[in-house]
Amino acid sequence: MGLDIVVCIKSVILAAPEEQVLRTEDTSELNPFDRPALEAALRLKELHGGHVTALSMGPPSSLSALSEARAMGVDREVLICDPALAGSDTLATSTAIGAGLQKLLPFDLVLFGVRTADSDTGQVGPQTSMLLGIPFVSMVRVMQWQKDDFRVERVADHFVEEYEVPVPAAFTIHPGAFQPRDVGLSGIGRAFESERVERWNLADLGLMPDRVGDAGSPTRVLSMKRVKETKKCEFLKGDAREQADELMKRLSDSGAIGA
Amino acid sequence: MDSILSEKHRIVRRSVRSFCEREIRPIAGEIDREARFPWEVVEKMGKLGYFGIQAPRELGGADLDSISYAIIVEEISRASGSLGLCVTVHNSVALYPILAFGSRAQQEKWARPLASGEKIGAFCLTEPNAGSDASGIEATAVSDGDAYVVNANKVFVTNGGVADICLIFLNTNPSADRKQISVVVAERGIEGFVVGDLEDLCGMRANPVSSIRLYDCRLSLDNLLGREGMGLKIGLAALDTGRMGIAAQALGIAQAALEEGILYAKQRRQFRVPIAKHQAIQMMIADMGTLVEASRLMTYRAAALRDSGKRFSQESAMAKLFASEACCKVTDMAVQIHGGYGYSKSYPVERYYRDARVTRIYEGSSEVHRMVIARGVLGK
Repeated sequence: MGLDIVVCIKSVILAAPEEQVLRTEDTSELNPFDRPALEAALRLKELHGGHVTALSMGPPSSLSALSEARAMGVDREVLICDPALAGSDTLATSTAIGAGLQKLLPFDLVLFGVRTADSDTGQVGPQTSMLLGIPFVSMVRVMQWQKDDFRVERVADHFVEEYEVPVPAAFTIHPGAFQPRDVGLSGIGRAFESERVERWNLADLGLMPDRVGDAGSPTRVLSMKRVKETKKCEFLKGDAREQADELMKRLSDSGAIGA
Repeated sequence: MDSILSEKHRIVRRSVRSFCEREIRPIAGEIDREARFPWEVVEKMGKLGYFGIQAPRELGGADLDSISYAIIVEEISRASGSLGLCVTVHNSVALYPILAFGSRAQQEKWARPLASGEKIGAFCLTEPNAGSDASGIEATAVSDGDAYVVNANKVFVTNGGVADICLIFLNTNPSADRKQISVVVAERGIEGFVVGDLEDLCGMRANPVSSIRLYDCRLSLDNLLGREGMGLKIGLAALDTGRMGIAAQALGIAQAALEEGILYAKQRRQFRVPIAKHQAIQMMIADMGTLVEASRLMTYRAAALRDSGKRFSQESAMAKLFASEACCKVTDMAVQIHGGYGYSKSYPVERYYRDARVTRIYEGSSEVHRMVIARGVLGK
């Protein structure tokens, strides 16, 4: 039997954009937060058998992230790609990813990275699960497959929470929980032997253009400005004890250390 | 550059770099100081395919192209010149000749364990009285029934201290006036096979360079690579590829030195500004950046020619000459930018400076390369 797992990945932009976001192969790479999710899926497959699909949405430059997933050992790659998707906010993205997942049914598990390195919302995982109406646990550190459900652990506020989750389920994976494997050279060689990434457009998903892209996005980003970080060097006054006390007070006030 | 590199090459670079940053870079200084061959990392490299980069997949290799090969050697050398050396010598002058000239059975026997990194390879040509002039080889093989009786004294063998499979260049017709140079494969451990002391070298100290001596070693006639008398042909073919690898190695060391130079120039403040603001430092950084970029272009171009099945001897010789000379200049400038700190073992540029020097000497010195290149440019 084995597990049928879908990992949703994104090709993120490497450098902060100056004005408009332009995604090309040179400026993008597989979201580092998605690598632990891919690793988690591949380990489940190694333990229980099954099949791992990587699903992404984005312009054709996203193909390289899918190729990298294939080099890691993923069995099937699907890219949701349509000009009408440009400008999608997290809701429109979740709508499209959700439609893609519907098409991939039946599966046992959907995994997401906890967030993306470029837009950093952390919303697509939970939103997509809501749209699909499947159980969802965030920041999962431990997963155990128990024949027909998952036993998972997440850490919150110094407590370990344990859940039993029926399938199909969706999790976001804690970025530190699964050290992604090194990609072997023969995996890379094999990944580029045949162009086999499947591409789905809106028609394939049965989605109307007004539900995605700019048209389907209720969020409007008013403006985007580069944050100017300024470092200030301040010298504390007094003798060593006074300086230490002042430093402790400031660290404590800022929440950096416990009071 | 980007027109030469494909998405596959970018992923190769990214994955190798991420491995090297995590596994090699943190220990590069230590293995140099201790002159230690880091088996624990080498085993991981073997599992990832770094020891069979261009070997066919049916023999356990990764079957990648030459540009990928250059990128991999560049990236490993960026972290540790010694390990870059180990990988390029193993792949290009030990494994490659077996793939190109070996029989099916020989490939199965030697190329397979080499490609997986289970065994390390070495190329044994240099002798006390033979180096640039390979016709001076004094090692001999005399056939005796179904075996050769081999006597050889090979020096400066890269990987010598750890190599299991050694390509020995020798004379298979010692009774004749005219030497008949051939290649036989000798495996470590057979009777009469002696690994000499490790050389106490200026740089590349984590690579166990040693002498290898064979005393009346009996080797099966099946250990002959190709045919008798093919030695120089095999050697030249191996060196064409090997030179591209040394060019890539020099490129990687120079790249590391450039990066350290930039980092330090931006941190170090003199006369109230980071020294990168001083024109004298900027001139050096500009030259370093240009030399590195030119080395990269020449190296990748030689690799691209090889991938397209064209002749690439001249280009790979030029790339090796240029990149190794450039590497010495770039590492020298990196030390200069660091001032006194650059002369100290506290900073990695000191190691780059030492490692760089030998790239102008091995696998054909710069002078021999100029002889070869001149012949090509002049048209004989």
